[in-house]
Amino acid sequence: MMLVEIVNPYYLQVGSFILINIILGLSIYVTLSSGQLSLGNAGFMGIGAYTSALLTLNFDVPIIVGVIAGAVVAGLFGILVGIPSLRLQGVYLAIATLGFGEVIRVFFVNWESVTKGAVGISGIPHIGREIFMVLKDAGFDPAIIGLKNNQFVFLTVFFVLLLINILLVWFIFRQQNSRIGRAFAAIKMDEKAAESMGINITYYKVLAFVQGALISGFAGALFAHVMSYISPADFSYHRAVEILIFAVFGGSEVIVGAIFGATFLTLMPEMLRFISEYRYMIYGLILLLMMAFRPQGLIDVQVLHWFQKLRLPKRRAEHGSKNQKHL
Amino acid sequence: MLNITNIETFYGKIQALKGITLNVEQGKIVTLLGANGAGKTTTMKTIVGLLKPQNGKIEFLGENVTGLRPDQLLRKGIALVPEGRAILGSMTVIENLEMGAYHRKDNEIDKDVEKVMMHFPILKERKEQLGGTLSGGQQQMLAIARALLSRPKLLLLDEPSMGLAPLIVADIFKIIREIKDNGTTVLLVEQNARQALKIADYGYVMETGKIIIKGKASDLLKDPRVVEAYLGKK
Repeated sequence: MMLVEIVNPYYLQVGSFILINIILGLSIYVTLSSGQLSLGNAGFMGIGAYTSALLTLNFDVPIIVGVIAGAVVAGLFGILVGIPSLRLQGVYLAIATLGFGEVIRVFFVNWESVTKGAVGISGIPHIGREIFMVLKDAGFDPAIIGLKNNQFVFLTVFFVLLLINILLVWFIFRQQNSRIGRAFAAIKMDEKAAESMGINITYYKVLAFVQGALISGFAGALFAHVMSYISPADFSYHRAVEILIFAVFGGSEVIVGAIFGATFLTLMPEMLRFISEYRYMIYGLILLLMMAFRPQGLIDVQVLHWFQKLRLPKRRAEHGSKNQKHL
Repeated sequence: MLNITNIETFYGKIQALKGITLNVEQGKIVTLLGANGAGKTTTMKTIVGLLKPQNGKIEFLGENVTGLRPDQLLRKGIALVPEGRAILGSMTVIENLEMGAYHRKDNEIDKDVEKVMMHFPILKERKEQLGGTLSGGQQQMLAIARALLSRPKLLLLDEPSMGLAPLIVADIFKIIREIKDNGTTVLLVEQNARQALKIADYGYVMETGKIIIKGKASDLLKDPRVVEAYLGKK
């Protein structure tokens, strides 16, 4: 079978959206893993997107520099918001950060001289096309591997995002099993206990919050360079809730939960396209059933254990002996 | 070892500690007694840095440690077992213990976990069980064991007997004495005055933010004011 027949730009585009949404799901997962519920990630995403878009458009910086700058600026805002938010917990933190997100959005709408207001910014350099141009100048022609130009562009975007996702998941996974991850988990379970064990909770709470902001800013910047067009409506309250649902639906206790939630919830409206107008009703119904029957999310630690036993009976024995080192 | 001079701590505008002065000598068990609301827990929280005193001075091993953060004080060797135990419910017993050694970077943690479990056989039996599934007494032992894993020089215990059955309480007091015999100084807050005074070397009695009586534990057991207010007739 020829590559040209199987590489479908539409599927790749959906795949790219999934990958960006996974990054967003992970951004809220990191903050949640320290017991903080932040709804400001849509705002941080917007900061990342606008920073990178404006830098690449007005100052001609390379996309990669723009994306990093976007993430860093979002992270800096994370510090600014994170420190005063330390006094808030649970729902109150959620309300404050939601307010922050709205402030950012209104700011984008009204700062017309720079952000073009509600109209949004278009013509943002596209990751795939930029890479394609560089390769073309170097004498590369996608026809060599049997692809049309636009197929190659979408394929590039998909693989760049996939690589970023793998690196990010690896990083978060490693962090979770490190001192930092242990501190997050202890703070989530009982702040008083964590403090009495000598964990500097101020530092770790701000760290988790800033990591969440940084990752959402990063996702926002990538979003800008994949869509080529952004407007304040992309970073509204609606987006904030959507990001939260990714983690909550999939299961906010485990990394796989956020990944699964983002994948499933991005894919489902696309799969249900054949029933057009009714698809969001089904989407809503599924969320409602979830809240009623599995409030902890579809995937939790038990489900993961069950999978491990099912798939890897040999590894289980190994796991047992590892624990016995404490005997 | 620990010298507190005239500390005053406030909750907002309310003054909870009205000039507390107390000393804990190395290798001793010192107990702090008093009714509810006397300021015992506030004193403990102030010592470990969870609350900041407005006035007064706290010295530990000759060094002024007033106003340091809890994690800095733990590194200096002051560990607190908070009131109500504060176990990490969804971590296993082993994980809870390892969290106690959070600030340590040496490679003797596994060895210390073993050693601590020798003292608390029940924890060894249940090491893979989740902390939240333990009984009250076991949780208290886990909380004490966890604090010991930070290798404290001074261990602060806030009402370790609270809500436990009399038999378990006796166990806990036996453990506290063992901790002292192993060289760790103990500051013990208790409502269970008789038991506390029996194992303590020195005692302080608090009332509404002040220390009203102090003395050797053996003397306090006979002091008519203490007997009347806290011990009752035999």
